[in-house]
Amino acid sequence: MDFVGQTLPFNELDESTLLRAAATLEVVYHRQGERLSPEDGGGLRIVRSGAIDLRDSQNKLLDRLGEGESFHLARLASAHEDSVSATVIEDALLYRLPDASYQQLRESHRGFDRYFHTQRSRRLRRAARYEPQPHAMAQAVESVMNQDLLTVAPDEAISAVAKSMSERRVSSAFVQDGETLLGIVTDRDLRERVLAAGRSPDSPVSDIMTRNLHGITAGASLFEAVLAMTRFACHHLPVMRDGSLCGVVTTSDLMLARQDDPVYLVQHISRQADVAGLQNLLEGVPQLVTQWVNAGIRARQVSRILTAISDAVTVRLLQLGEEQLGPPPVPYCWLGFGSQGRQEQLLGADQDNGMVLDDSAEPAHDPYFERLANFVCDGLDSCGYPYCNGQVMATNPQWRQPLKHWQEEVGRWSTSPTPDAVMRVSIFFDIRSVHGTSGLCQALQRTMLDTASRNSIFLAALAANALDGSPPLGIFRRFVVERDGQHRDSLDLKKHGVMLVTDIARLHALHHGIEAINTDERLQALERCGALAKVDARNLSDALHCLQRLRLQHQADLQLRGEPADNFLNIRKLSKMSREQLRDAFSIIHDAQNGVHQQYRQGLG
Amino acid sequence: MWRLRWRRHRYRRQGRGDALASCWEAPLPKPRQPWHQQGYLVCDAEMSSLELEQGELLSLGWVAIDAGRIALSSATHCLIAAQDTVGQSAGIHQIRDCDLRQAGSEADAIEQLCLAARGRVLVFHHAPLDLAYLDRASQRCFAAPLLLPYIDTLALERQTLARQEGGPRPGQLTLAGSRQRYGLPDYPAHNALTDALATAELLLAIASHRGGVDRNGNCQPATLADLLRVR
Repeated sequence: MDFVGQTLPFNELDESTLLRAAATLEVVYHRQGERLSPEDGGGLRIVRSGAIDLRDSQNKLLDRLGEGESFHLARLASAHEDSVSATVIEDALLYRLPDASYQQLRESHRGFDRYFHTQRSRRLRRAARYEPQPHAMAQAVESVMNQDLLTVAPDEAISAVAKSMSERRVSSAFVQDGETLLGIVTDRDLRERVLAAGRSPDSPVSDIMTRNLHGITAGASLFEAVLAMTRFACHHLPVMRDGSLCGVVTTSDLMLARQDDPVYLVQHISRQADVAGLQNLLEGVPQLVTQWVNAGIRARQVSRILTAISDAVTVRLLQLGEEQLGPPPVPYCWLGFGSQGRQEQLLGADQDNGMVLDDSAEPAHDPYFERLANFVCDGLDSCGYPYCNGQVMATNPQWRQPLKHWQEEVGRWSTSPTPDAVMRVSIFFDIRSVHGTSGLCQALQRTMLDTASRNSIFLAALAANALDGSPPLGIFRRFVVERDGQHRDSLDLKKHGVMLVTDIARLHALHHGIEAINTDERLQALERCGALAKVDARNLSDALHCLQRLRLQHQADLQLRGEPADNFLNIRKLSKMSREQLRDAFSIIHDAQNGVHQQYRQGLG
Repeated sequence: MWRLRWRRHRYRRQGRGDALASCWEAPLPKPRQPWHQQGYLVCDAEMSSLELEQGELLSLGWVAIDAGRIALSSATHCLIAAQDTVGQSAGIHQIRDCDLRQAGSEADAIEQLCLAARGRVLVFHHAPLDLAYLDRASQRCFAAPLLLPYIDTLALERQTLARQEGGPRPGQLTLAGSRQRYGLPDYPAHNALTDALATAELLLAIASHRGGVDRNGNCQPATLADLLRVR
């Protein structure tokens, strides 16, 4: 009886209810190899000891259950829209709650009902939703942007545009030629470029519009929007989704969100005069992260803020380097790879970076860039971003090349997909311009998309890479954990979880030519273009964030104990709820890997 | 079964009280039927001493098995008012004299047991001890021993282990030791009801292991005779 009382979700019931429910329980014993079907008995079964595998009609493993876990075959079958069978894989003692009592408990106890409301994917999503209110500055731009856009043609008269703006009560108008965004006109332009300049209101609006627009992606945080506005000294930012305009965010939209620590931190970073100053400033970051986690900022937002911080540090180091070494002889672009590229950094991330030089670069120019790269990478290391073990750094000549060499290399990788090449591409495809001429980065990314998306052999090799690690489904029974070293009994959440999701998202994105880098944005784009079912995309995204949240919580815990950040979670110390979520996340990843296998490696074994 | 009938016949005339008589009227089990088609009542008794002459019953616990399933709704725990004080055994059973004050008489307990046992096979872990006390109680109450068919899980386990090399080792035949062999979880021991439940789970495990599972995952149950044969 004590056992039932401790089992989810029975632990939410009061004692008298629990006793009444326990009186209706039946105890059964099943031998290894026995197969239970919905017909025999029914009701909710709780595993007291032993282990049970749940499989669908195709005999695909849905879940493996151990002590304290429960299942209801008939409900699983109706939720799964398929028959579900349970096989005993280790002699099992089961407690069976008859369907009538189960129904009654669900009707009378909300928490109990909520627990069983639907199958695991919903359970996970709900857990994500119950995260506390996000930090104001960490919300996505799309949550505050104005979608009621005024768009005008370039040849429209200024007076007509001004009239429409007054009618629509908006402070800006976007000038579009068909689908192409040309520029923006704001209240201030009407004042400064028309009235003050004495220009005729009949002249076309294209005369006064601001051209080079600085846009922001819909998923970016308000915090990034503030930074962009400060940097470009503007009050209106067009919000882009998949390369097309979807809204506008203004300074007044941002005023609604209170300014807070991260903004100031990044502004301070950009004002530091030397590496020691940066170092000093960044020492406080783990402490801040702990505060953010405790304040309930979501994992995806913390990782965006942390990426923005490392971007700011990199940019500042590059500026300091250029001050020391003089201006660069040819244009270049500093690239962020891996988690920095995807804007999914957490604490303890190592550097993954590279450089693309303009094609006009000559061998004689390389010493300059080598010195610059050394300065930046050394600086990053001393600021808490350790050197990359795999030598994926701009200091390595292989990762510091002119555009055309990069493009040739990409061609070579995709024609002979050796494991090394596949590994490089998986790093390289998560690429983002951090500083310098971003056109170089975009050109490189376009080459990669063009080359890879049509190359099915390459995609198959990349799929093999994505399927290389499998999620530790049976973890809570047989501890699939690091077997040696200081991390015994612990699970590498990055290697066995997060990486698997990012690999899957990258593969699909590459196949469908999607330019997004951030895993969430990739999944959303895949959902929009129909490459992934809505439910699959959302499940994967939820799984990723469940893992990231556990990682972050773990890092915050380490920080409180004064230990350096790592990704090794001791699963024995996890709360029951976290275990359930972790298991759900792994099941979802497992399903997604099956999908990858079907799509890219059919017949390849 | 014929022996049971013959012995009951000897006591039938002198016996008194309805509860036991009605138990005897119920049909005796059919050894050839699959084990789970028979009902069982798994019992455990706590007493103040292991010696019948010095001890008395302190509590009875039982739980029923029907259709191969333990029904927790049948779980019953009877505390018995002791004539002497509980003495040393309190340390083992955690029954104190003050608990026993709300307890019923031995006669009440044995009568309730008989009502629950009608048509069922009794199950004990180490039957001789429990039965000695229960038979004495029954003699006092009904002027006859219980004379009900029973299964002894300890005897079943001893038989299984005897076939293995070296025979049973000390501690292997205890309730906890036997349960461990079947991968059953640990329970706090020495409460009549929890011990009865623990024994019931052990019986399910033993019965399952004396049967088999075919290739399609269907159960091939053992017969009742497979469980009754040992004495």
